[in-house]
Amino acid sequence: MYEFNLAGLLPYIDPLPRAILLTLWLSLLAIVMSVAVGVFGALCRTSTNLIPRFLGAAYVEVLRNIPLLVVIYLIFFGLAQVGLRVDGFNSALIALTLNAGAYMTEIFRGGLLAIPNGQYEAARSQGMTGPQLYRYVVFPQVFRIIYAPLGNLIIGIVIGSSLASVIGVEEVTTWMRRAGDETFRYMESFLAVGVIYVVLAQTINIGRIATGNWLLSKAPVGARR
Amino acid sequence: MSTEPASPVLRIEGLVKRYGAHVVIDGVDLDVVPGQVVVIVGPSGTGKSTLLRCVNGLEDIQGGRITFEDQPVLARSRTVHAIRRRIGMIFQSFNLYPHLTALENVMLAPVKVLGESAKEVEERARGLFRKVRLEHRAHAFPSQLSGGEQQRVAIARALAMNPHLLMFDEPTSALDPETVGDVLTVMEELALEGRTMLVVTHEIGFARHVGDRMIFMDGGKIVEDSPPEEMIANPRNLRTQQFLGSILHH
Repeated sequence: MYEFNLAGLLPYIDPLPRAILLTLWLSLLAIVMSVAVGVFGALCRTSTNLIPRFLGAAYVEVLRNIPLLVVIYLIFFGLAQVGLRVDGFNSALIALTLNAGAYMTEIFRGGLLAIPNGQYEAARSQGMTGPQLYRYVVFPQVFRIIYAPLGNLIIGIVIGSSLASVIGVEEVTTWMRRAGDETFRYMESFLAVGVIYVVLAQTINIGRIATGNWLLSKAPVGARR
Repeated sequence: MSTEPASPVLRIEGLVKRYGAHVVIDGVDLDVVPGQVVVIVGPSGTGKSTLLRCVNGLEDIQGGRITFEDQPVLARSRTVHAIRRRIGMIFQSFNLYPHLTALENVMLAPVKVLGESAKEVEERARGLFRKVRLEHRAHAFPSQLSGGEQQRVAIARALAMNPHLLMFDEPTSALDPETVGDVLTVMEELALEGRTMLVVTHEIGFARHVGDRMIFMDGGKIVEDSPPEEMIANPRNLRTQQFLGSILHH
């Protein structure tokens, strides 16, 4: 007769903190890198020049329409076959970044399109250069617009990082499979990991909210009371 | 009096602006000397706003030449930023930065573009808020301000750069009638200070009382250029007569 017993996983507790840290690290790196890809991709997609606009659109449409799992396989196994070996962690990181970067591009593009032309004209009329205009006028406003959709996506990145388990990255899902296989306590290990993902995703999400509040409260010229 | 005519701060020669085949400005010549208040009137779609936008390089031009303080204005050139810093632009729709308070709106460019110290700029900004009678609203965000208040903040924002020329693009057209007066009063005071101003407006009363020169534009051309009193009392051109007739008698 089956009996729920979390303590049955105790012999496997030692590698768990390391696995959690690896999931966290992989997710954070993928978030930061995909934000960078998204900003760049959105600037391409909103460019007045046809070539970056086309390349940006092509990137988004291709990456958005390939399952993350397939991208991971492509980088880990596909590239290895043509002689370019990328280790598991970096394969997962690149795949997550490329995949999430496509969604980031769309989120940032939506934010950029929401900024009225008058904002660019006001900033240019004050003699701002391109970088100044984006730094002080456009991006702070884009950030306010994309702040909420960004939350969905970064949670998606944390959850998506579990696919790194298929190429042997020793993260939380890999730990779950091993603990489950060896103890037959599948229910316990799956539930434990489910809770761990909720906590990890929410921790990162709370980090997003805190960072956002801090950024929003900051005055660019030191005059806010 | 035989004073030498002051050399123009702004010189426009044979300006042509086209969008594709559509000619918006069709050979405009205009000199503005320091301290002059030039009011541009005319029906919509005749290139008045486009003219202002060409002067600070927001639009590229297809013919002619614009010279501001002896420097050519070339959109998308490296020199255009430096020229824009000396030209204040006030827009019909204010275009304040919505994520910044009124005071931050005024301080941003002097601090970040001109590199002045925040403390000095804040002092100057406080003075400008008194000038536009909004010292009590300095910490409000644009969304908390009425249209007239936003436009006065926009004027303070332009003044904070110590511009040598102020351009107003229909500054009162988007305002409730009761707040138009507040903005026009501020503009009149600026004119009395001896500021050089280029004003596109439909406020004929303002043109009459404040303008040194009135320009009537139609079809991308300057049709008439004379002192406001004279143009309003005795428009020479038929189009000017029709236009002034239509906006004065109703």
